[in-house]
Amino acid sequence: MMEPGGRGRPLTVALVGNPNTGKSTLFTALAGIPTRIGNYPGVTVEEKVGRFVHRGRDVDLVDLPGTYSLRPQSPDEQVVDDVLGGRMAGVRPPDCVVIVVDVTNLARNLFLASQTLDLGLPTVVALTLSDVATDRGIAVDADALAGRLGCPVVTVVAPTGAGIERLRDQMLAAPAGPRPPAPDISRYLAAADGSRAPAARDVIARYAWVDDVVAEVMHRSTAPRRSLAEAIDGVLTHRVWGTLAFALVMLALFTSIFRLAAPAMDLISAGMDAIAAQAESMLPEGPLRSLLVNGVLAGVGGVVVFVPQIALLFFFIALLEGCGYLSRAAFLMDRLLVGAGLSGKSFIPLLSSFACAIPGIMAARTIENRRDRLLTILVAPLMSCSARLPVYLLLCGAFVPDVAVGFSWLRLPAVVLAAMYALGVAVAAAVAWVLSRTVFRGPPQPFVMELPGWRWPQVAVMLERVREAAWSFLKNAGTLILAMSVVLWALGSYPKPVLPDDPAMSEAERQGEALRQSFLGRAGRVIEPVVKPLGWDWRLGCAALASFPAREVVLGTLGVIYNLGEVDPGEEEGASMLVRRLKAATWDGTNRKVFSLPVALSLMVFFALCAQCASTLVIIGKETGSWVWPVVTFTYMTVLAWLAAFVIYQLGMALGW
Amino acid sequence: MRSFRERSLAQVGVGETAAVADVPGADPVSLRLLEMGLTPGVQVAVVAAAPLGDPLELELRGYRLSIRRREAALVTVAT
Repeated sequence: MMEPGGRGRPLTVALVGNPNTGKSTLFTALAGIPTRIGNYPGVTVEEKVGRFVHRGRDVDLVDLPGTYSLRPQSPDEQVVDDVLGGRMAGVRPPDCVVIVVDVTNLARNLFLASQTLDLGLPTVVALTLSDVATDRGIAVDADALAGRLGCPVVTVVAPTGAGIERLRDQMLAAPAGPRPPAPDISRYLAAADGSRAPAARDVIARYAWVDDVVAEVMHRSTAPRRSLAEAIDGVLTHRVWGTLAFALVMLALFTSIFRLAAPAMDLISAGMDAIAAQAESMLPEGPLRSLLVNGVLAGVGGVVVFVPQIALLFFFIALLEGCGYLSRAAFLMDRLLVGAGLSGKSFIPLLSSFACAIPGIMAARTIENRRDRLLTILVAPLMSCSARLPVYLLLCGAFVPDVAVGFSWLRLPAVVLAAMYALGVAVAAAVAWVLSRTVFRGPPQPFVMELPGWRWPQVAVMLERVREAAWSFLKNAGTLILAMSVVLWALGSYPKPVLPDDPAMSEAERQGEALRQSFLGRAGRVIEPVVKPLGWDWRLGCAALASFPAREVVLGTLGVIYNLGEVDPGEEEGASMLVRRLKAATWDGTNRKVFSLPVALSLMVFFALCAQCASTLVIIGKETGSWVWPVVTFTYMTVLAWLAAFVIYQLGMALGW
Repeated sequence: MRSFRERSLAQVGVGETAAVADVPGADPVSLRLLEMGLTPGVQVAVVAAAPLGDPLELELRGYRLSIRRREAALVTVAT
């Protein structure tokens, strides 16, 4: 018989198992850093392949998504079924299957194993978490299990590497060995209730078979006692203590992505500024320099600056997932989000979006349910991110009168600021509620979630998650965000302005004139009729357009358009200059002031709800695998932002604020 | 035959244990509950409810599972 695969081509091994079985740890122990990460064709299910060499043979280890059953109900499970059945385009039918079986959860894991054995592929079973099982007084006889299943069974302790070499040997040997028989469940099928649907009968019979196997191979050396893990669980899911602990954990997560990332982001900005200054001094003034400095370098900086937040958030998620808290968090918050048509798993992605929607949308990967994930992604940009804060602060400080509201310590600007955050949350809840009852209407989405046992997170797995998230962002979204920032640079720089030959004209005035004459400036004039009902003049319309790359740009653009040059609103002097100029601004050809409280409010409300962030739209496109969703997001958010700004402005004018 | 004393898992109080009688539905969610190990005869403990009353935390077959009351209502238990 020909050796399967032959010497030349790599052996394809599929790694199958339930979620939370230590499968990722085992993958890392076997193959190290994955050599290929992508999506399976047509679906947003991650494809992860790691190549390693064992005894001179190349092995491609395909890490399949964790699944509870081979009867597919979700895109993830469909992928597992297709790959194992050899029906997945671009993936060779596996030469061998490794089934990961968690010893602490033997019955449910053997259920999936029994379905996998039905496929008749060369199979090896890897027993994981036996160290945890030993602590709980559970012992599994690997030889007896191998006898029952008819395939090799290897006990591995992935973190220490014990058993890994034996597992590799068995993978190499399995394709040439005898195929394991399909589990004989006929006796159990006959015993099951004949009136049931065939699928349900099959499950009941399989579990009956599994129960017999478990009774034969599993031994409890000590009586099960209340373990430390259970005591921890009792506290962390407790009505009062659990909620308190949850609030503390989330506060820590949120402040760290908000605050810990800041020094790294500042460092990146400073580094990019230094490089830009260097380039500026080396190149002669002209379109090339402008393209390089204001287009390309600014774009690269705008991409890299997101990496610290993404890395930190995914570090936290991996930490929470690794110790088992992630699903507890979903458990605690589920009821709150169900009302809006979401689920408990949407909580962390939405919370993270208050820092930045980019990592938040990426974090929605932890939501298996496709509908819930899409809904979460669509409303995540409504959370007021850190880029909106400077806009709120500047406008609240400048145009909202500093008077007390009820209490002497409660000032109106602070109330308006809080209201902007509340507005985002309220609109997100409303949008999710409406979408879940219209576009995404369907059968109720089940919430059937394992709460895995408490365990120590694996550092290697955590670092791999961080690396993977950062790299996929840079590779997939980074290039597109960069391209978009170059296009926007061109729109703001061309056509070349015709400047009067006036030596008295300052550099700031020149910049302002150039922007006013560019495509962007002209577009601002064109859209003036659209923004006039919001109380904006064409300059504000132009600044809103120019802030499409990122919201925080609006302040800089306002500075340029009002002839202040590039002001840094973070700087005391720059901000106060901008405020003075904004307060002095008048409608073209009149003495009527542009800014008033209603205009400031309409601008803030618009920025609270609009989708003026190109990077967010790019990441939505990448994460959903379709360009329909960014278009939908941009459209609905812009329409809502305009309507809300219109209402608040007209209300403010009518009430004479 | 269903006994009139039969009740659903959603009616089992926190801290109580019951034996699964059946998950009689033929819908995908019922099938998934069976696949998660809620098969006839299995002992299920309702360990806790989330602070807002839903979902429930169950213990069965040596592991913890969380389902909403809506799903728990699909499971009948023996009394």
